[in-house]
Amino acid sequence: ELNDKDIEEILYELEISLMESDVASEVIDTIKSDLKTQLLGSKVDKKEIEKFVKDRLISNISSLFDAAGTVDLFELINEKKKTVQPFLILFVGINGTGKTTSLAKVAYMLQQAKYSVVVAAADTFRAGAIEQLREHTNRLNLKLVAQNYNSDPAAVARDAVLYAKSHKMDCVLIDTAGRMQTSKNLMEQIAKITKVVNPDFKIFVGDSLAGNDTVNQAREFFEHVKFNGSILTKSDADARGGAALSIVKITSTPVLYLGVGQEYSDLKPFDKELFLETVFGSLSGVDRKTPKQELV
Amino acid sequence: MLDGLKNNLRDAIKKIVKSSGIDEELIKELSKNVQRALLQSDVNVRLVLEITKQIEIRSLNETPPPGLSRKDHIVKILYDELAKLLGKESDFDFKSGKQNKLIMLGIQGSGKTTVTAKLAKFLTKQGYSVGVIGADTYRPGALVQLRTMCEKSNVEVYGEPNNKNSPDIVKNGLKYFESLPLDVILIDTAGRHKEEKDLLSEMEQINKVAEPDLAILVIDGTIGQQCFNQAEAFHKTIPVGGIIITKLDSSAKGGGAIAASAATGAQIMYIGTGERIDDLEKFSPTRFVGRLLGM
Ligand SMILES: Nc1nc2c(ncn2[C@@H]2O[C@H](COP(=O)(O)OP(=O)(O)OP(=O)(O)O)[C@@H](O)[C@H]2O)c(=O)[nH]1
Ligand SMILES: Nc1nc2c(ncn2[C@@H]2O[C@H](COP(=O)(O)OP(=O)(O)OP(=O)(O)O)[C@@H](O)[C@H]2O)c(=O)[nH]1
Ligand SMILES: [K+]
Ligand SMILES: [Mg+2]
Ligand SMILES: [Mg+2]
Repeated sequence: ELNDKDIEEILYELEISLMESDVASEVIDTIKSDLKTQLLGSKVDKKEIEKFVKDRLISNISSLFDAAGTVDLFELINEKKKTVQPFLILFVGINGTGKTTSLAKVAYMLQQAKYSVVVAAADTFRAGAIEQLREHTNRLNLKLVAQNYNSDPAAVARDAVLYAKSHKMDCVLIDTAGRMQTSKNLMEQIAKITKVVNPDFKIFVGDSLAGNDTVNQAREFFEHVKFNGSILTKSDADARGGAALSIVKITSTPVLYLGVGQEYSDLKPFDKELFLETVFGSLSGVDRKTPKQELV
Repeated sequence: MLDGLKNNLRDAIKKIVKSSGIDEELIKELSKNVQRALLQSDVNVRLVLEITKQIEIRSLNETPPPGLSRKDHIVKILYDELAKLLGKESDFDFKSGKQNKLIMLGIQGSGKTTVTAKLAKFLTKQGYSVGVIGADTYRPGALVQLRTMCEKSNVEVYGEPNNKNSPDIVKNGLKYFESLPLDVILIDTAGRHKEEKDLLSEMEQINKVAEPDLAILVIDGTIGQQCFNQAEAFHKTIPVGGIIITKLDSSAKGGGAIAASAATGAQIMYIGTGERIDDLEKFSPTRFVGRLLGM
């Protein structure tokens, strides 16, 4: 029969793998305590305990990703297209994570899929933000709607929507200024922009090199803008990507894509299996029952 | 949750301060609480395990120096071990009669361009005359960003918007500034990371032409466990002489960045505490220890 001490000892190494992969402590703690509740008292052969606990942990984490669901952006856009209205996507996140670059990558992806795209330069704050986006849209040959620095970001977004409507365009991608989730004013501002513009889809852009703070970012941005999914950038930097699990656990929304470089095509669909392998090593032989089957 | 942690650690220290004797159990408890605090602050897992092992060994085996109670001694060991990681306060050591060249390095989006502009203003205010070279040829809008931010402090920025060869730009920039009476030249470079071999070799080329007096590694304060390997790769390409941690106005504790110090042997010099040009502070090891432990 499994007791607290057995589990604790076996989990030690696994916990270190999770920590070294940048899964937030808070998230590790919850996953651990859920696992304990689930496993305490289970009858397991002494020789099998280690594998048993590890397999259950991997299964549980895998289920968390499944519970967050998946999103087919193209399908959502097609739905909206039927109403002859543009599909609005808003990008949010803290400073320097890669919002603008990810927006350009998504624009490129949509363009490749033959959707028409307008870009809104609603970061009217950071020096060079508008020129940065202008360069991207020039390279991609896309329409940019911009005003001056310090103008109202919501007004820029609205302009872009009007442009898209009058030109029967499919998508509007809205860039916003980076902001710390600890800044009350800026978080209220992004909530207000969200209300005014009413996007069909909101994407949180996080840095896959970030550590524990990812949970605070995800929690606050989720509270203020209720994002639908996230993109994790700089995954090519040999990041282990634990941020993905942190975000999924906190918000139960899916990680959509990983940024894997600085080219427009460097955007890959998030792959749960690859994530699990990065953290835990090869998954062959892992017995992945769902917790429910387990109880039988 | 963090508050609970703070209290645990405070309680553990209080218990030690209050207790008449020191037993192994109390020390283990303190060590465990320190461990949790540091891990939550993103300090490198291996470093944390080393530190807390040291705290345990030293607390159990060392005799307190005369005049220090055993309890005070343990609290001192705790601070010592953390301070060892952080090193001393350190500042620029500019040579007079020459142009001191500083180059900014770091991962994409860490805050190099912002730090360059902040330093340009900061040093100008201290009476140095400063010139800036914008050598990021990758990120769209990089030069406009740098120029806009440096305009505020009337610092001249040398850049070549249509030249994609950054070592060349640095060479031309240094030549351009050569005849001017400048004390400091700051060089902003493109973001890169340890897996981007071409960009690392570009950095090596820049290093050759720039021959910098000081290479500053700019580290994002929200970084987690990957900092050590990244910093090590930078250090192998250009020896890092100083570190600046940015975005410490966030809720991140900044402990991830300490690994940069461990990997390079360089001191943390300044911290960025906001997006505005004046949001730059001198790094204080003692305040940082407090931040890490949540106290
Ligand atoms: N290697 C790599 N670099 C990336 C990736 N995504 C973004 N970047 C780089 O990260 C840096 C910051 O990207 P931006 O798109 O400007 O970030 P942002 O979130 O818009 O920044 P702010 O608007 O200032 O908050 C740029 O140098 C990008 O090229 C990625 O997936 N991999
Ligand atoms: N809140 C906050 N934001 C900061 C700080 N330092 C920089 N930033 C922001 O972080 C983002 C990235 O900063 P940059 O200076 O563009 O970073 P970089 O390293 O030059 O980026 P690349 O050139 O793309 O590699 C911008 O939005 C900055 O305004 C800071 O201390 N606090
Ligand atoms: K990571
Ligand atoms: Mg941006
Ligand atoms: Mg830059």
